[in-house]
Amino acid sequence: MRLRFLITFVTLFVLAKGAFAVDDKAGIAFFESKIRPALVKHCYECHAKDAKKIGGKLRLDTREDLRKGGESGSSIMAGKPDESLLIHALKWEDNLEMPPKEPLPAALIADFAQWITMGAPDPRIEPMVPVAPPVDTTTSHWSFQPIKNPPTPATKTPEWIRDPVDAFILAGIEKAGLAPTRLASPETLIRRLYVDLWGLAPTYEQIAAFADDFKTRGQPAVEKLVDELLAAPYFGERWGRHWLDVARYGESNGNDGLSRNPTFPHAWRYRDYVIAAFNRDTPYNLFVTEQIAGDLLPADNDVQRDQQLIATGFLALGAKPAKAMNENFDMDVVDDQIAVVGSGILGLSVACARCHDHKHDPIPARDYYALAGIFQSTETLWGAAAYEGLTAPATDLHVLKAASLVPPPPGFVETVLPVDSNTGKPRAIPKSKLPAGTPLAMGVRDRKEPADGRIALKGESKKLGDRVPRGFLTACVMSGEKSLPSTSQSGRLELAHWLTRSDHPLTARVMVNRVWLHLFGQAIVATPDDFGVYGEVPTHPELLDHLALRFSGDMNWSVKKLIRAIVLSHVYQLDSAADERHLTADPTNRWHARHLRRRLDAESLRDKLLQTSAGLNLAPADGSIIRHRDIMVQLAGNLQEPSPHRSVYLCYLRNSPPAELAPFDLPDGTVVSGRREVTALPAQALFFLNSPFVVTRSRALAEELLSVTAGDDGAIVTAAIRRVLGRDPDPGEIERAAAMVRDADTALQASQPDAKIRREWAWAVYCQALMATNEFRHVD
Amino acid sequence: MNPLFSRRHLLRSASCGFGYLAFSALCQQQSALGAAAAVPRLPARAKRVIFLCMSGGPAQLDTFDYKPQKGQKKHPGSVFKFDQHGESGLWISELMPETAKHADKLCVLNGMHADTGNHAQSFHQLHTGDRLLTRPSIGAWINYGLGTDNTNLPGFVSMNTAKPQAYGSAFLPSEHQGTPLGINGEDMSVATLPNIAGNHLPAALKRRQLDLVQAMNRSHQSDRPGDAVLESVIESMEMGFRMQAEAPDLLNTSNEPASVLERYRVGVNVTEGTCKASDFGRQCLLARRFAEAGVRFIEVNHGSWDQHKNHRRDLQANCQVTDAPIAALLEDLDQRGLLHDTLVVWGGEFGRPGLTPEDGKDETGHNANGFTFWLAGGGVKGGHVHGRTDDTGARAVDGKVHFRDLHATILHMMGLSPNELTYHYEGRDHRLTGPEGGQVVREIFA
Repeated sequence: MRLRFLITFVTLFVLAKGAFAVDDKAGIAFFESKIRPALVKHCYECHAKDAKKIGGKLRLDTREDLRKGGESGSSIMAGKPDESLLIHALKWEDNLEMPPKEPLPAALIADFAQWITMGAPDPRIEPMVPVAPPVDTTTSHWSFQPIKNPPTPATKTPEWIRDPVDAFILAGIEKAGLAPTRLASPETLIRRLYVDLWGLAPTYEQIAAFADDFKTRGQPAVEKLVDELLAAPYFGERWGRHWLDVARYGESNGNDGLSRNPTFPHAWRYRDYVIAAFNRDTPYNLFVTEQIAGDLLPADNDVQRDQQLIATGFLALGAKPAKAMNENFDMDVVDDQIAVVGSGILGLSVACARCHDHKHDPIPARDYYALAGIFQSTETLWGAAAYEGLTAPATDLHVLKAASLVPPPPGFVETVLPVDSNTGKPRAIPKSKLPAGTPLAMGVRDRKEPADGRIALKGESKKLGDRVPRGFLTACVMSGEKSLPSTSQSGRLELAHWLTRSDHPLTARVMVNRVWLHLFGQAIVATPDDFGVYGEVPTHPELLDHLALRFSGDMNWSVKKLIRAIVLSHVYQLDSAADERHLTADPTNRWHARHLRRRLDAESLRDKLLQTSAGLNLAPADGSIIRHRDIMVQLAGNLQEPSPHRSVYLCYLRNSPPAELAPFDLPDGTVVSGRREVTALPAQALFFLNSPFVVTRSRALAEELLSVTAGDDGAIVTAAIRRVLGRDPDPGEIERAAAMVRDADTALQASQPDAKIRREWAWAVYCQALMATNEFRHVD
Repeated sequence: MNPLFSRRHLLRSASCGFGYLAFSALCQQQSALGAAAAVPRLPARAKRVIFLCMSGGPAQLDTFDYKPQKGQKKHPGSVFKFDQHGESGLWISELMPETAKHADKLCVLNGMHADTGNHAQSFHQLHTGDRLLTRPSIGAWINYGLGTDNTNLPGFVSMNTAKPQAYGSAFLPSEHQGTPLGINGEDMSVATLPNIAGNHLPAALKRRQLDLVQAMNRSHQSDRPGDAVLESVIESMEMGFRMQAEAPDLLNTSNEPASVLERYRVGVNVTEGTCKASDFGRQCLLARRFAEAGVRFIEVNHGSWDQHKNHRRDLQANCQVTDAPIAALLEDLDQRGLLHDTLVVWGGEFGRPGLTPEDGKDETGHNANGFTFWLAGGGVKGGHVHGRTDDTGARAVDGKVHFRDLHATILHMMGLSPNELTYHYEGRDHRLTGPEGGQVVREIFA
């Protein structure tokens, strides 16, 4: 598929500006004597009508073309040589070096500067040519097309169909000449549902009870279980974490390029907002709107107001580069916001268009800067950034009204003081205007005077091109306006409304694909953050559209309803066993003739290790370990602390992640990460073999098992396997385990003379072994 | 369909889980057999790279690019004293007396230039070829291209590198990503691989324990045939077990003679202005030990060379803590017969403009238009200077080498064709040297 774009940077208002003004005679004389000869001699070879190839789409052989500029934007600002690209290029500044072989003599450059100061008089007026149309982004790429309501396909075994989802899947399986595998056992199904909906494991007793219920009632038992799981607070902790990956959530800035990494002490409020939003089942369209424009929404009360302000943390949480020596800092912040909205919500990498028209996706730089204008009209509030001016200079924060004031605990003294970047000496922490512990939130608010932005050439803020009216992506095929309706605000609210329109071709598709990915371990569009031309095409385009329409239609953007429908389908409940035919004909399981076995992710693995060893506190953690600390992470040593709470509540410091999660493909929190990698690196093996965390958990489990289990070794092994793996021992397992425990006891005699402790340690060796098994680390 | 395409195609079409890991397991097996990626090979000059990354932008005009005053009017240039060293007569400043003793091993590139004077972006470009996007680091590319030489150790170790993107594998299979030693803020004198050692159990009992785990894994796997994920985890447990046997000894430098620790200045730190404690001596000694053990790409880091104010004081401090360890590393590599196939690379994300003598100023900025790298070993000319900046050192004018060209040259020396070492991702073939491609600097080959 080839896309054709007609790309030009012509804008009407540039042409309208006095193109035919009469220049005075002296000016024309100056042009004729100094400028025209130089242009002919040094520039026309590449920048005139007859040039073999017009360099940079810039012609300098007519007055109009010279003023209009090329792909880098207007070449001159009449009267302002310092702001004129032409002069920068002639001076060989900022990577623009013209003429390319060697610079012109300084005197000649001075002539050009003087000519521009004079208003760039130029008699080379050609007859008016038709104005080229604005950027044509017409594309046939699938994801920009309206979502159609596909007919439910006919299948050979209609009795297999529980939900229309099944029909779309089964049609594919049949077309591939395959047959779906059997249903998973209830024991497998409940484990899968607990992991997928809660990120936790069911207990042995819960598994047994569900298996009984399922054998009696069948699918109604599954419905009851699913409804219980969806209603519990652990659901939001699981699904909120998925969204935090998309939101490139982090509680510190990450390395700013100068090795400085300030904490974000208030980021956790956004984490809690996201968890609560999933638990409340906030409709996805509202969820998106709150995160992009919550500050612009009306609020009935302070609680709602706080929540909406916190939601805008979505736009403020990004990793920021150093401000020092970085003229592009403000645009870097905007770029992160465009990237998170682009990849996160639209599934499009818009960011390439910061520097050039996107080579394949129909996203011209104009569209990028149309969006940029919205965010440039927005003030981003990330806080004090450890009081270090050279990294991200301090900003205000939202002051919350309903949230309670939590001052630092008595006796709290900050030991990591800000450091003077020149002398390296510690400085005092500036006194805050607000009482200590004032509830604050990161987020955004409108600037006082919202305005359209200008194209920054090659992404460099110093080289500004044409002004672009704020607006949305022009390639999305939908009715209505693509530029911003007239507003006195930044345009974020209008952007949110545009994103969440029911006829938007991307927003619903992208979200249902994310949900599918987390329930099946594989997505319909394998690149969940990229639905553009570089991304993968959907394996089941009709299914994607079907789900997207249901999601934004009947389900009213309810994520819980979407998940419920999918997990109650036949295809979700398939077994993960693969027969020979599946493996050879469809090794990647593109057609879903079986379920994919999956490794537990970092959070689920840690939670399960704690849960199994009776060390998990299921209550939400209060805030974050850094809530009172506005400091540089790299000056503080390891800030992480042991916690009994679920992993989602750990401190996600960028570049300094919790050690218990780090080996298991944790995203780095700097870019939208809709799909985590799944690796099998030796660092993971070392975690199970040696980490103090696993050793501690295995000893805690051994101690507990020995204290509550009456009976012989067989009873202890049975209790251990029930606790860790949720099943009864297989034949032979008890004897093998007991033999190893005896060996362990012997081997530990030298290091542990106390027989009671040694017995615990020996059993801990077994508990640790159980925790390291593939059976513990994977879900069928 | 050729086999390369089908493998790539599968890697790409498999979203995650089964297919992806099946093939990454396949890659691992292939690398064990010495056929990491099906890419063309050139005759290799070097087998491994040690990258001495000087983050912050070292001041080339007061280290390796001598700019004496010319004419009557004072102009920016070198403000520290320079002398000629070795048979080659290479100009090196008084701040690097120990490194200067190895002048005849150095191949100095004075015509380096980069796209931006922004630290983060240029540092990223130096490591990945791209200023903004998440792309595989050069160490990951090389490991992807060549596979590993030691299955008990990672093929890419990155010491004291604060930013994970600098050693990331991005879209390349993750086994090629760098293993960090000393993450953000960690004390480099004790930094180690996470969980590499555990003394909670005697070694024999650990093996006994793992045997039970693996027996359970085999039994579990027999009910789940054809699952390459499970297989790759079983293998990773064995590799982790082997690593814990080999790596702690490698990381334990206390068994080195006192004279070696002294030569490398292990444990010696200077904390002055921008110069941070990085135990650079231990990093260099570990680099040598990793090189001996077959690690393919080793990066060590010291910073920050970003002296804006107090330029002279901080530059002296940075040179003082890096000079002797680098000299010791070059000496040891040479003595052990490793230098001929170990490419040592020194440099940072850009350089700095010179100070003007006697004008009372002690402050510099960034200069991406002209700066210095040096290479040693691995088949480069020793005592050689390639490229030139203008009289004030402001801009490379001759023998210009962009990061792209440097990357192309390093790949070429490692026996990889810079243009053909590609990876298909997001609909197109990517390579380290980007769409523009890089020019191999053949003039520096011995």
